[in-house]
Amino acid sequence: MHDVAVMSYGEAIREALDDALAKYPEMILIGEGVPDPKNIFGTTQGLREKYGSERVLDMPLAENGMTGICIGAALAGMRPVLVHQRIDFALLSIDQLVNNAAKWHYMFNGQQQVSLVVRVIIGRGWGQGPQHSQSLQAMFAQVPGLRVVMPTTAGDAYQFMLDAIADNNPVLFIEHRWLHPIKGEVDKTRSSAELVGASLLRRGNDITLAAFSHMSIEALKAATVLARHGVEAEVLDMRCLTPLDVDSVVRSVAKTGRLLVADCAPEMASMGHQLLSALFQSHSQRLRQAPRLIAYPNHPVPTSHFVANHYYPGAEEIAAKVLDMLDRQPLKEAVMLELQNDLAKDLPDRSFTGPF
Amino acid sequence: MAQATYDLKQLYYQMLRIRRIEEAIAARYAEQQMRCPTHLCIGEEAIAVGVCAHLTTNDKVFSNHRGHGHYLAKGGNLPRLLAELYGFAEGCCGGRGGSMHLTDLAAGFIASTPIVAGTVPLAAGYAWAEQMKKSGAAQGCASVARGRMPEATAAQGCASVAGGTAPRMEEVGRSRKPEPRMPEAANVVVIFFGDGCFEEGVMHETLNFATLKKLPLLFVCENNQYSVMTPLVERQPNRDIYKIAAAHGLQAMNGDGNRVDQVYALAQAAIANARAGLGPQFLELYTHRWPEHCGPNEDDKLGYRRPGELAAWKLRCPLLQARQGLLDSGLSHEAELADMETALVEELEQAFQWAQQGSRPSIDSMGRHLYA
Repeated sequence: MHDVAVMSYGEAIREALDDALAKYPEMILIGEGVPDPKNIFGTTQGLREKYGSERVLDMPLAENGMTGICIGAALAGMRPVLVHQRIDFALLSIDQLVNNAAKWHYMFNGQQQVSLVVRVIIGRGWGQGPQHSQSLQAMFAQVPGLRVVMPTTAGDAYQFMLDAIADNNPVLFIEHRWLHPIKGEVDKTRSSAELVGASLLRRGNDITLAAFSHMSIEALKAATVLARHGVEAEVLDMRCLTPLDVDSVVRSVAKTGRLLVADCAPEMASMGHQLLSALFQSHSQRLRQAPRLIAYPNHPVPTSHFVANHYYPGAEEIAAKVLDMLDRQPLKEAVMLELQNDLAKDLPDRSFTGPF
Repeated sequence: MAQATYDLKQLYYQMLRIRRIEEAIAARYAEQQMRCPTHLCIGEEAIAVGVCAHLTTNDKVFSNHRGHGHYLAKGGNLPRLLAELYGFAEGCCGGRGGSMHLTDLAAGFIASTPIVAGTVPLAAGYAWAEQMKKSGAAQGCASVARGRMPEATAAQGCASVAGGTAPRMEEVGRSRKPEPRMPEAANVVVIFFGDGCFEEGVMHETLNFATLKKLPLLFVCENNQYSVMTPLVERQPNRDIYKIAAAHGLQAMNGDGNRVDQVYALAQAAIANARAGLGPQFLELYTHRWPEHCGPNEDDKLGYRRPGELAAWKLRCPLLQARQGLLDSGLSHEAELADMETALVEELEQAFQWAQQGSRPSIDSMGRHLYA
């Protein structure tokens, strides 16, 4: 019996937090704005009313201190979920995350554990600018002892949030703000993915698209249009960063012989490099041609939408690169026509009026 | 302040024990078998002892890089501390941590770590969790130490490793401190830290939150006036640290950290307040470290202290003062104090013997426990 509901990614997060608060009396949900009227883009709505202000609470503007306090609470048996509305704010807590949370279980030889979830939100567009829209996921994923996940679908968002809260390790849970309104199926009876493994979003034989977070949505868009023109792309959603599921990519590339990685991060800070490195070191014979990486430019994003519009790659750039790699340039004009729309690239959809 | 009733002899013994253990570590340090940065607390023993005398195993302690005294005063297992310094699997962290990372959950000593102020918010978080459990906000919450005891460090394992001639762990490892009877009172958490922490943002962040939530927490600032070799005057303006805590809304007091009777009395009042739900308490206690910042030697020749400063502090040795008090008041006599020394020589000999027979952590185990 499957209990499948259609809901947005943001609603799925709220639903998972609600279910976890009910399931784990030791869970607390804390962060700047958690109980405020906008409640983290709606993802914490109604939870204070339901579970009380001791378990669902706002916090002082002290990211490092509060991270340490949540670690201490976890050592005493709590399961804190700490929310940062921007990943940029989590930089203030690097000391506690890296020196304490990530190492505690290891350095005390397995005698103590830190069951902590840190929710951070990445995003793009609408003038978020250099300090409100960074994509620092790879930096966090370089720290042994942290688990880093960035689910893309509503179903994964629900499941991963529950899994992250149940996990006895520090988990960095990365949400792309543009995923929040996207609807999907949430199956509450689905068994745990245990925070590992890529997810196959689409099958195809011509090329493998390994994409991260919101870029998986863009890759799917590109693949859908390409399919109408006879190009079948396989889309893998790289939803877990530690460990990175290289095996799934290798299996797909064994079939397609081609790989294009699409990441929502500056090129120099992309998880894609780890993927390509692993592939080259052990499986280069499976590649028919050099793999490629689509990512953001290696500079901060400017605030002005006149230029920021040209900062972010999307479905068009992915489709164009696929056609280049397959040497099918004549298809470009038709494919681009179908992918083009008049929506500015700094807006997730027509209803969005900012800011976030 | 309530009249302090205490056993000065017991306090003296605990200080003497820490002093002799630190000296024994220093004496063996040059053998190059204990290869980890080791920060000895010689000269600062009264603070750990005077505070921990009021704690039960249900009360928790967090500490820092200079943590041997806190660990031992809280009842931390001595042979495991030594084995940890030697890097053996029987160490309190299985050799993962060395001197700067100590833990003994059974004793209520949660952890020491060496990032300045790194454990300060952890102590507050722990106290916060205790408060939530008590209030029922987190009913059904698992208690401490959900983690497993690693195979190699189970207490029974130690005894068998040590063999028939070794003393039982309870005799060797635990300090012989009677536990105060406070069955109905709330548990408290104590965080020990140095004056340098007041230059760290996280210290102030924690003071703010601790007062906001009225946490059952005691902050103990061991003001030894030096951060490594840099004097306080080069790091902080001329104002009292405890008054900053007071400005954050804590009940804050200061006192002589080299007088164990004074530390005991101040801690007694502060801990009683914290247990009674009066919110976080703060003690600034003045003291001085005798050896070099890190390592077994004295370093006065380096000249970073004022001329005569160390000598003056040595005249105010916490042990010397307590010993004089015991003799002057007739609470003890030379022969009894000599017996203490003899007992400690024996305990130390057995503890080192056990620790030095430890086993190397297997190379296979090196990657273990990255994730729970």
